[in-house]
Amino acid sequence: MQERIGVFVCKCGPNIGDKIDVDTIVNEVKNIDGVVTAKSHNLLCSNDGLEFLKEEIIKGNLSRVVVAACTPKMYEQKFMNTCEEAGLNPFLFHMTNIREQVAWVTPDKILATEKARKLCLAAINRMSFQEPIEKKEIDVQPDVLVVGGGVAGLEATLTLTAKGRKIILVEKDDSGKTETTESAQFRRVYLVEKSPCIGGVSARFEEVYQTMECAPCMLSPELQEVLQKENVETLTYSEVEEIVGSFGNFTVKIRRKARYVSEEACIGCNACFEPCPIEIPNQYDGGLSKRKAIYLPYAGALPNVPVIDRLNCLHLNGKECNACEQACAFGAINFEDEDRLIEKNVGAIILAVGSKLSDPTQFPQFGYGKYDNVLSAIQLERLNASNGPTGGKILLRNGQEPKSIAFIYCVGRKEKGYCSGICCMYMSALAHHVKEKLPDVKIYSFYTDLCLPKKEHQKIFEKVLAKGVEFIRSDGSEYVDYDGKKLIVKYKTESSVKSVLADMVILAPPVEPAKDIEKLAKLLDIPLDEHGFFSEEHILMKPFGAPLEGVFVVGTCQGPKDIGDSVAQGSASAGKILSRLMLGEKLELEPIVAEIDEEICCGCNTCIGLCPFSAIHRDVEKKVSVIDDTLCRGCGTCVAACPTGATKAKNFTMEQISAEIMEVAK
Amino acid sequence: MPKPKVAFYWCASCGGCEEAIVDLNEDILKVVELVDIVFWPCAMDFKYDDVRKMKDNEITVAFINGAIRTDEQEEMANLLRKKAQIVVAFGSCSHLGGIPGLANFWDRETIFESSYGKGCPSVDNPDGIVPQTVSKVPEGELTLPAFHNTVKSLDQVIDVDYYIPGCAPPPYLTMKAIVAILSGELPEKGAILAPEKTLCDECSLNDSKPEKISIKEIKRISEVISDPEKCFLAEGVICMGPVTRSGCSEEGDGKCISANMPCRGCFGPPPEVKDVGGKMISALASIVGLEGEENMSEEDVEKLINQIVDPAGYFYRFSLPTSLLRRKRMSNPAKEDRYNG
Repeated sequence: MQERIGVFVCKCGPNIGDKIDVDTIVNEVKNIDGVVTAKSHNLLCSNDGLEFLKEEIIKGNLSRVVVAACTPKMYEQKFMNTCEEAGLNPFLFHMTNIREQVAWVTPDKILATEKARKLCLAAINRMSFQEPIEKKEIDVQPDVLVVGGGVAGLEATLTLTAKGRKIILVEKDDSGKTETTESAQFRRVYLVEKSPCIGGVSARFEEVYQTMECAPCMLSPELQEVLQKENVETLTYSEVEEIVGSFGNFTVKIRRKARYVSEEACIGCNACFEPCPIEIPNQYDGGLSKRKAIYLPYAGALPNVPVIDRLNCLHLNGKECNACEQACAFGAINFEDEDRLIEKNVGAIILAVGSKLSDPTQFPQFGYGKYDNVLSAIQLERLNASNGPTGGKILLRNGQEPKSIAFIYCVGRKEKGYCSGICCMYMSALAHHVKEKLPDVKIYSFYTDLCLPKKEHQKIFEKVLAKGVEFIRSDGSEYVDYDGKKLIVKYKTESSVKSVLADMVILAPPVEPAKDIEKLAKLLDIPLDEHGFFSEEHILMKPFGAPLEGVFVVGTCQGPKDIGDSVAQGSASAGKILSRLMLGEKLELEPIVAEIDEEICCGCNTCIGLCPFSAIHRDVEKKVSVIDDTLCRGCGTCVAACPTGATKAKNFTMEQISAEIMEVAK
Repeated sequence: MPKPKVAFYWCASCGGCEEAIVDLNEDILKVVELVDIVFWPCAMDFKYDDVRKMKDNEITVAFINGAIRTDEQEEMANLLRKKAQIVVAFGSCSHLGGIPGLANFWDRETIFESSYGKGCPSVDNPDGIVPQTVSKVPEGELTLPAFHNTVKSLDQVIDVDYYIPGCAPPPYLTMKAIVAILSGELPEKGAILAPEKTLCDECSLNDSKPEKISIKEIKRISEVISDPEKCFLAEGVICMGPVTRSGCSEEGDGKCISANMPCRGCFGPPPEVKDVGGKMISALASIVGLEGEENMSEEDVEKLINQIVDPAGYFYRFSLPTSLLRRKRMSNPAKEDRYNG
């Protein structure tokens, strides 16, 4: 059948109309074989224009539609919808860009017209190879995976499961899918946390800015709620191992590391700690205190179930010891425990794996690791914390109170190339706490630039200033020496080199990505930025959406930020999911996917390892590659790689593309 | 009823395709029973004039092997086209340009220089004499066919009805084609008389191929003792099998492969592929260094890719004239297609 092609050239007001001789193009394409209608319009994307387009399609009984206008990124979808309304499969429509790629960049009207004419001819030439594509739908999977149990992850979890959900009890290891239709009505969140407890870094802080509130107290209700919510499955001491699929339909494999303590049997009496003969530095206290091989990260950690560290436990390393087992009155110790791999199906993923403070030994000029009383800010946080190693007392290593402390801001900022944006505030807050506890202590604060951007911050800074903390601006070249008694902080001002003596030095190293980020980025094939944080889709407009649909990067794994900002992102990402993954709805699959013609495929396997979405597998019987179209996202990687031409990208077939190119190259 | 008439002719070729006809062995007797061979310069004494004197379409089928690189070949191709009802491009050179087609990376002048010039160690030619179309000698004029700058496939010169691929075509495909033509069971015009799937499909080593293939190091076949049970690509030896039509061996295991050699690509591309070299480069580039790709620097990638010796020659070994590249760009495009004088 001869195609009935309609060509519509938009003038976009003066944008195209003044730069390109639209009438000449319309008159020429009118005479091309197969073109039954060629018209221009002043503004095709307006309601008028769309109505006009719809009428023309119906009136002309058009089988193919070309629109020459702006970039397809603007209104392609709108035009496709109009085609659909007019009864034409939207994939029989093609848009060619004569605004951004011609009118706006080619000032000479004759040249611009020629260029636009060629693009129109190319589009028309492609039309006979265009094929209708039918859209496919699957049931939406409303459940969500949240990775990371810090403030951002917690907030997301609570928002996702907040309201209107009748809670049904699902036994952890049973398959919840045996429930009848009713069970599908509820959204579940799988909260995966790598460490044995939830609450993240914030739960380890005594008092946090801006409110100077006790963080464990502030967080505790939220933590309890998450742990008790029955449509939240909290998987602590767990890691994500594999993710396949796409928005609305991810399959996730989670490794639940052996805890060796039964979460069901343990009542959290902590009687097992005392008898354990092993003592090692507790990383959750910045190594300032010791913990046992069976331990809780810190007092009050939730869930209140200890974990046995398999690297250091005597029993698990073949030695004779079962001290904890004997001490446990509830039979909760289980040395036979093993890692388990569990599989969950989710519709969206929130990555909230947080960040860490850089190891200050990277910046040797400050003497961290060399001098006892040079500490990182997180260590001072733990000293200040009532559940910390000194019960909240600010003490030197020798147990005495410091008389003078030097705070050094902006550690490693130059080396890292970014300002973490939170150190000025937490250092000020720490100075404030120290001054509360030790009113006579002398505090020097060395900074290169102060970052006090929010409505509360200036106030806190002024408060600290009023308490007598001395702020010294230096050029960032401070270094720390030791005279056998006191630490010496040398610094440069504009005019001279000076120094102060201090008992203790506190460093504010940069916030850097957590270790897991790289692994997760690889699992999902999402990019990291130059500093190793997750890249967001758009720093301004989509600051927490990963460039992969249905995946969100929130909190400090996307970049340094404070608690408030992290919570806001957690909440916002949940909002995005709530509005898009509606319970009981259908999800439209990406229509422009790749397909493999098994009559042509030679089974060379070239494509299989390339697919970033693990959508291709080998059919062993037929000896060909097969694409799962619920997983394929139409990226075209396999199409480019296929040596036989068996793999085709719908709507971007070799015929279609070469028809366009050949016409332009004529 | 008179027997159908068959002609065989060779253009720019090595003679292997002629051998391939002889390789029909006793089957050739069956052919001779069925047809009259009216022209076969390689094997029988015919003159060009014999052909010229024939009526148009008098020959049922002409099998022409070799690429077209001289005036004489072009003239004979046109003559046979006129005299034959069916023209079959026989073998890789005729089908795709073949090995002689690699000359398109040079031109007449540079080819003459390397064949007759000072740079050629086996030629003693102090006066730098190169072939001329006309040379005056005391006895009169001597002529030679003009040597073109560009080697062409047969269908770039005349209309071709069918193709039998291969360097050289396996006898079983030739016999099948002859039988089909004589019995009138003609496939669609333009058909390539070989299977459509590429070689991996029938390759006996395919099962040994890992599902996720990544090439760490590229090696030439001469640099490895290749395991006869393992896929060449998985070992880092470039095999053109994925992008080359199968059918080279009647037993269905790949002629070169069964001799423990990687496929060189003589059967040409499958139907969906326009440019064999480009396709293979694209496929190879996708899997080279795939594992650990994120840890590779630009230099690492370059080093790995530079392990491919003579990529143009390797990937376009049989297909340069019919590829998208076609030939090296001529410094003077007016001289491109032929040598006038």
